[in-house]
Amino acid sequence: MPKIDPETQKLYDEINGMIQKFKDDQKSKADCTLADKCGDMSDVPKIRFSSKKILKGHINKVNSVHFAGDSRHCVTGSLDGKLIIWDTWTANKVQIIPLRSAWVMTVAFSPSGNFVACGGMDNQCTVYDVNNRDASGVAKMVRELIGYEGFLSSCRFLDDGHLITGSGDMKICHWDLEKGVKTMDFNGHAGDIAGLSLSPDMNTYITGSVDKTAKLWDVREQGHKQMFFGHEMDVSSVCYHPSGFGFASCSEDQTARMYDLRADQQIGLYEPPQKNTGFTSCALSTSGRYILCAGIEGNVHSWDAMKQRHTGTLSGHENRITCISLCPNGMCLASTSWDQQVRLWL
Amino acid sequence: MSTQPCSSSTSSNSNNCTATVAAATPPPSSKTVSIRDATAPSGSGTSTTKSSGLLSVGSNHHHHHHHSSPSPSQSQSQSQPQPQSQSQSQSAQSQPPTAPSVPQQPPHHQRGSKNEDAPNILVYKKMEAIIEKMQAESGGVAVRTVKAFMSKVPSVFTGADLVAWILKNFDVEDVTEALHFAHLLSSHGYIFPIDDHALTVKNDGTFYRFQTPYFWPSNCWEPENTDYAVYLCKRTMQNKTRLELADYEAENLAKLQKMFSRKWEFIFMQAESQSKVAKKRDKLERKVLDSQERAFWDVHRPMAGCVNTTEIDIKKAYRRGGSSHGTGSAGASVAKNPVEQLTRIIALRKQKLERRTIKVSKAAEALVAYYDQYNEFDYFLTSPELPNPWQTDSTEMWDTEKNSKDVPVRRVKRWAFSLRELLNDPIGRDQFTKFLEKEYSGENLKFWESVQEMKALPQSEIKEAIQKIWQEFLAPDAPCPVNVDSKSVELAREAVNSPNGPNRWCFDVAASHVYHLMKSDSYSRYLRSEMYKDYVNCSRKKVKSIPNLFGVKR
Repeated sequence: MPKIDPETQKLYDEINGMIQKFKDDQKSKADCTLADKCGDMSDVPKIRFSSKKILKGHINKVNSVHFAGDSRHCVTGSLDGKLIIWDTWTANKVQIIPLRSAWVMTVAFSPSGNFVACGGMDNQCTVYDVNNRDASGVAKMVRELIGYEGFLSSCRFLDDGHLITGSGDMKICHWDLEKGVKTMDFNGHAGDIAGLSLSPDMNTYITGSVDKTAKLWDVREQGHKQMFFGHEMDVSSVCYHPSGFGFASCSEDQTARMYDLRADQQIGLYEPPQKNTGFTSCALSTSGRYILCAGIEGNVHSWDAMKQRHTGTLSGHENRITCISLCPNGMCLASTSWDQQVRLWL
Repeated sequence: MSTQPCSSSTSSNSNNCTATVAAATPPPSSKTVSIRDATAPSGSGTSTTKSSGLLSVGSNHHHHHHHSSPSPSQSQSQSQPQPQSQSQSQSAQSQPPTAPSVPQQPPHHQRGSKNEDAPNILVYKKMEAIIEKMQAESGGVAVRTVKAFMSKVPSVFTGADLVAWILKNFDVEDVTEALHFAHLLSSHGYIFPIDDHALTVKNDGTFYRFQTPYFWPSNCWEPENTDYAVYLCKRTMQNKTRLELADYEAENLAKLQKMFSRKWEFIFMQAESQSKVAKKRDKLERKVLDSQERAFWDVHRPMAGCVNTTEIDIKKAYRRGGSSHGTGSAGASVAKNPVEQLTRIIALRKQKLERRTIKVSKAAEALVAYYDQYNEFDYFLTSPELPNPWQTDSTEMWDTEKNSKDVPVRRVKRWAFSLRELLNDPIGRDQFTKFLEKEYSGENLKFWESVQEMKALPQSEIKEAIQKIWQEFLAPDAPCPVNVDSKSVELAREAVNSPNGPNRWCFDVAASHVYHLMKSDSYSRYLRSEMYKDYVNCSRKKVKSIPNLFGVKR
């Protein structure tokens, strides 16, 4: 450790003083928890979902799933090197897109359903036009977004022309897809970015990271607006509350949490009944009453987000669940797993 | 004794120390990733120790078990010419570390002490205590040599025997629990079926065998793809049907051969010498050793679809492999220019301190209010108005999205929650546009929409779009002037004519002003209007009529 000169020391002290101030402020605002406030609400029933369909086709671990805006089609990406676009209603494959690199970690459907994006250990993000075919009859690759120094861990479309990605090199990148240029690129976290969730109004987004924090960003700006602490291990996924007031997060530390943006702190904590699983992915129901988390032990756990009560598990997968996605109308949940299956729960 | 320790093992398998990606192909365009980064989580640093574990000779193995332990690359130190050719090929390729000349300690003791803090070690210790109990001379599971047609099957026990033993010796409720218990032991490779790659236990006459302690997972094996290649290659040399490669193994072999094409000769030679040594062994002993080695690889390179107890999240493996960035670089940048960095942090923190936060109770109230408003749209709580398409095979729900005639009443009700809800629904937006046109204030919504559309345009078209919006809505002689205060217009004028060129956010102030205006004025009037009420009533009627329709159909 090099010597710290007095000037630097002074700055450190100032920072520490400020941190103390936040903590005090946070404490003074933490007059209750969400569960305290909601104690008098009536209980909600156990989650009724059951595994209704298994989408079969992948022949290796499936790493990611995302629904299109129509609540009917979804895209999944697997280590078998394929993206599959499914019609969840018929359980048919609409399209199979063979990838140049099999190491896909994340997929995204544009809200319009016109484009899908994916990326992973190939250190790039590839965008396909679902409505156009190339010479060999597969969806046309329209963009290869390169320049990452780490694997792509998350991507989301703002609209058909704009994409935000988070990656293992700790960076957040904004892309203009029509021009194929990066419009912004900045260090987001002190560790791999693991999850990204857009606000309902598409003006802000939340990222979760291996540095155990989550951050709030404005889509127009580079600096984060707020930072949220609490998790004791990697934050693996974040999910904006449908109201836009807050967000849920889940982590390897075997907890899920709820944060409020305006209170600037954690307001809820969710743990599995037997502390036996870390979580990889989370989702919130349309009213924000249920929080769902995918466990590495193969079950999806659900809680009453308000009363902090465990409301059941969805079991069926035989290995780690990698990703869950609730369709926009809130009626169907898709999950992907290392057991090579994609399941639909309704 | 309860099954607790084992049931916890399934959950902790992600923390295990070995990554397995052998079956997958390497990224073709691996710029910063090498296959080792992705496969060996602890990087190249550990490969030396690990391989020395692999290379240690069976004769050093001290355990009471009556078989000498085979090792994947065991023969190296036994066959004389081998080490030489090996070191030659190494100097050329610098890949696998040299065979140790010093005799090794029994691996699991030496390594066990080093790996006391390995994530699964507690579970392994408990499982091993159980296995030792099973193997006890008296009161253990009866191990037999079974005579089959023309041959003998050495050192086996049946699944039924095992389950009976567990039921007798442990506090388990029923056969299902005993089976689960046995399955967990098996999935970690402590016991394995002699003829099957799937590590599980069935309550029948299938034969099982104990794994030799040398191959126990507590030895923290992180076998490399080269070792696997040698093993598979060796299998192809043994001309026996029971040793024939399974389809998935043949596929893996082909992939590995492609991957290691440059040093395949070296792998082949190693396999050959191992195979030679094996041939000298007693026939029954060989049978046992072969099966134990196979079970070892079933744990570390499992068949697709089998529970894998030794793999970790590939993202983690990648991170540990290439940890040149990570927290390190962040720390480095602080060190480079601490004052500037810290000043920046302080400025950020100041901003944060200035921000006003609300009490958690208020935040909770807001969420409760949101829930109250939206719970009837939450499928988890309220069944939908239109039949669930997945359950009823009716696509009505998706069809109504496109068609403005039969909008369910709940959806129309939602328009009253906020202007955003109204504008988010295409039919709602249509209705509101019609209403505004009636009121002769349609330009407000048009302006707001144009601004939103402009913001989503590619950069090249932005300039033109901005000019168009300015000319149409804000300029002094605009054909459809919007009702915005002069300050916002002035701000927009400055932004449009700014020397750096206008940017896509130049109308934000004006647009939010207009939005606010619509929200506080036109929107509330719309909700009170006959037009909206009619629409609500109209859809209500239709909803009511649905049950009748069904009645008629029946």
